[in-house]
Amino acid sequence: MVNIAPRETQDLNLMEDEAFRAHVRQWIEANYPADLRNPPKRLHWDENKPWYFKLAEKGWLCPGWPRQFGGLGLAPAKQIIFTEEIERYGCARTNDHGIVMVGPLLINHGTPAQQEYFLPKILSGEHIWCQGYSEPNAGSDLAALRTEAVLDGDHYIVNGQKIWTTLATDANWCFLLVRTDKNAKKQEGISFLLVDMATPGITVKPIINLEYHDEFCEVFFDNVRVPAKNLVGTPNRGWDMAKALLSFERIYLGSPRLSAYAFTRLRQLAERMGVWDDAAFQETYGKLRLDLEDLKSLYGTFVEKLRRGETLGPDVSMLKIFQTELFQRITDTMLEIAGENAGLLEPMEGNRNLNPTGLYIQARPATIYGGSNEIQRNILSKNVLGLPG
Amino acid sequence: MSQALDDRSESIRMIRDSAGAVAPRGGDTKRVRALRFTNPGFDKGVFAQMGELGWIGLAVSEDAGGAGLGMSEAVALAEEIGAGLAPEPLIPAMLSARLLAAAEDKALLAPLLEGGKVVLTAWQEKADTLAVPGTSDAPRVFVPMAAGADAFLLPVREGNRIALLALDAAGADVALEKTMDGGNVGTLRADLSRAARVADDIGAVVEQALDEAALATAGHMLGLMEKAFEMTLAYLRTRQQFGRIIGTFQSLQHRAADLKVHIALTRAAVESAAAALDAGATGAVRQAAVSKAKHRAAESGLLVLRQCIQLHGGIGYTDEYDVGMYLRRGMVIANQYGSATLHRRRFMALAPEDVE
Ligand SMILES: Cc1cc2nc3c(=O)[nH]c(=O)nc-3n(C[C@H](O)[C@H](O)[C@H](O)COP(=O)(O)OP(=O)(O)OC[C@H]3O[C@@H](n4cnc5c(N)ncnc54)[C@H](O)[C@@H]3O)c2cc1C
Repeated sequence: MVNIAPRETQDLNLMEDEAFRAHVRQWIEANYPADLRNPPKRLHWDENKPWYFKLAEKGWLCPGWPRQFGGLGLAPAKQIIFTEEIERYGCARTNDHGIVMVGPLLINHGTPAQQEYFLPKILSGEHIWCQGYSEPNAGSDLAALRTEAVLDGDHYIVNGQKIWTTLATDANWCFLLVRTDKNAKKQEGISFLLVDMATPGITVKPIINLEYHDEFCEVFFDNVRVPAKNLVGTPNRGWDMAKALLSFERIYLGSPRLSAYAFTRLRQLAERMGVWDDAAFQETYGKLRLDLEDLKSLYGTFVEKLRRGETLGPDVSMLKIFQTELFQRITDTMLEIAGENAGLLEPMEGNRNLNPTGLYIQARPATIYGGSNEIQRNILSKNVLGLPG
Repeated sequence: MSQALDDRSESIRMIRDSAGAVAPRGGDTKRVRALRFTNPGFDKGVFAQMGELGWIGLAVSEDAGGAGLGMSEAVALAEEIGAGLAPEPLIPAMLSARLLAAAEDKALLAPLLEGGKVVLTAWQEKADTLAVPGTSDAPRVFVPMAAGADAFLLPVREGNRIALLALDAAGADVALEKTMDGGNVGTLRADLSRAARVADDIGAVVEQALDEAALATAGHMLGLMEKAFEMTLAYLRTRQQFGRIIGTFQSLQHRAADLKVHIALTRAAVESAAAALDAGATGAVRQAAVSKAKHRAAESGLLVLRQCIQLHGGIGYTDEYDVGMYLRRGMVIANQYGSATLHRRRFMALAPEDVE
């Protein structure tokens, strides 16, 4: 936990873009823990918290939150620059579910009491959140979820199982989708509950992923008592909020950061492998570069809409599709030029910047999580293009 | 169909059947999982069994102690090994057997063919190459499963000739790196003063032996693709979401159909190249056929294996579920004996208009 008192008070939106970029870069270089640069795997809370606390102290943890809630209220163009600098330097991703999802959820739908209680604890790092949506039989069909919450006086009793819960072993709070009305249509009996992971009856079991890393988990709920005041919004209306939140998730997953990160490493790898000057490589590199540039432009238009206070439509799925597939194409190219290094478990030559296999594997689930790309294409064709079916 | 072809399909069938003993298709992956990240990363007992079954000398002439079969049998076997994810370094051992047989060596060839000695050829001096410069003091890199070597073979240039030296693995300077699939590769810094001379010139055979290894590796990839795709089809037929079997979604049906096309292309490229080599193709014709097959296997192989993960959703990204093991193995072999880019360029450089 940190004292978040000495916050950035200056309105960074007033700076010129290049001055802002220099300002961010300088601060990152001066403050980012050197041993955490370019981590080959997603870091656990124990490992990334020094960086989380640095950002928190500076007041830069939540660049997109409005200033009255402790955010930076940063304009879209500036947010993109901010992200680019973070990625350029190889800063680790933090345990950011609180920042990216719970914050926006509570800012939009929380009671003042919930906002006052939870938001500062995200900003201080006291609460680390995980996302309890998916279940073994409710993945793409999330609305089929069966984990149930039954009201008992002023508590809900929760029973069921979640799966693929990222970094649940690190989290002390979970935002959970539960079924509160079994008789209603499947989308109409779902509620949002905020659950303290220390509550008796919760068991977390790590799952080893394709990178041999314990990044996601199964979470079991056995008669877990959750105070009714931890329900967000209206009972049985959780699905609508979740959907709105998914558009936050999609714009986050559509942000160019992962592709931008991989792209700079592609160049480093090409130089190391001696193909940088190769005309055919330059052709491929140029195509990827332009895809990345255009993704940044498209992303900017969505962030701008948010900035104007508009709610994002289903067309945000375009961003998620293009970003995640670009990330994969960049890492596919890495594997292609890496020679036999394409089979190594660890980064090449002990250099974390040369990690083609790690990035290749990490790029795979990007088209699965956050609503698979097949589901995103269904959304685009039905809800944006209005095709029948 | 000619008598020769009938014999061929019979010997291919027998090879495939015999593979079941070591790398059972549809068998469980317990053995494979238990060996991951162990030293040496494979089972020397199983390697010996491969020798007893005649696999290591499959393409070595009967006179030299081999089975006297050809590349059509070798790629069929490699495919079975891939489908069963066997970690034993069979293709590198076949390469060594080829060189030793050409050198008319007796001392190392017999124990290698029996599977009693793991003999690996340390020919490579940089990533993504098929060239064998034979630089005497260059470290030899990416030796597959080097942790389990009993001896290394080293091609060393002497004027216009490529001599073959043998080095006992005991006491050799080998730096190991782990691979994605739980195996390892080694960098050998050989002390040639400790090495024994096997042959004065293997220059004539080394290129061909590497082409054969590249083609067998394409067969290995084909086995990975077939098996991972079979698992994926089974999943598409059973997994339900939205109250339906996901295999009823037309977008997934089309994807599966596309993957089938890639698998068919790969099989056609691999099997036709093997037939060309068995018919005695040499020089540019052989190289073009091999490059066609290895290029296709590297490109379509990774594509199919990636999509198999995608079609499984979250469970495809776990270590516990087998489909991911196929992708990891695919990453390890995709660029072995030449990447897609290398083989595409070699193919084009051979003036394909002029080859059959
Ligand atoms: C690395 C990772 C981290 C994750 N983190 C979290 C987390 O923190 N919290 C959480 O709640 N969840 C998390 N998830 C779960 C993720 O949201 C689900 O994996 C995803 O929704 C897909 O569900 P599923 O895995 O059950 O696949 P399924 O829904 O079974 O899908 C299998 C395949 O069928 C396709 N498919 C399904 N329906 C259709 C359709 N109608 N049309 C066409 N194709 C279809 C899918 O696209 C996929 O290819 C994570 C997943 C991964 C891989």
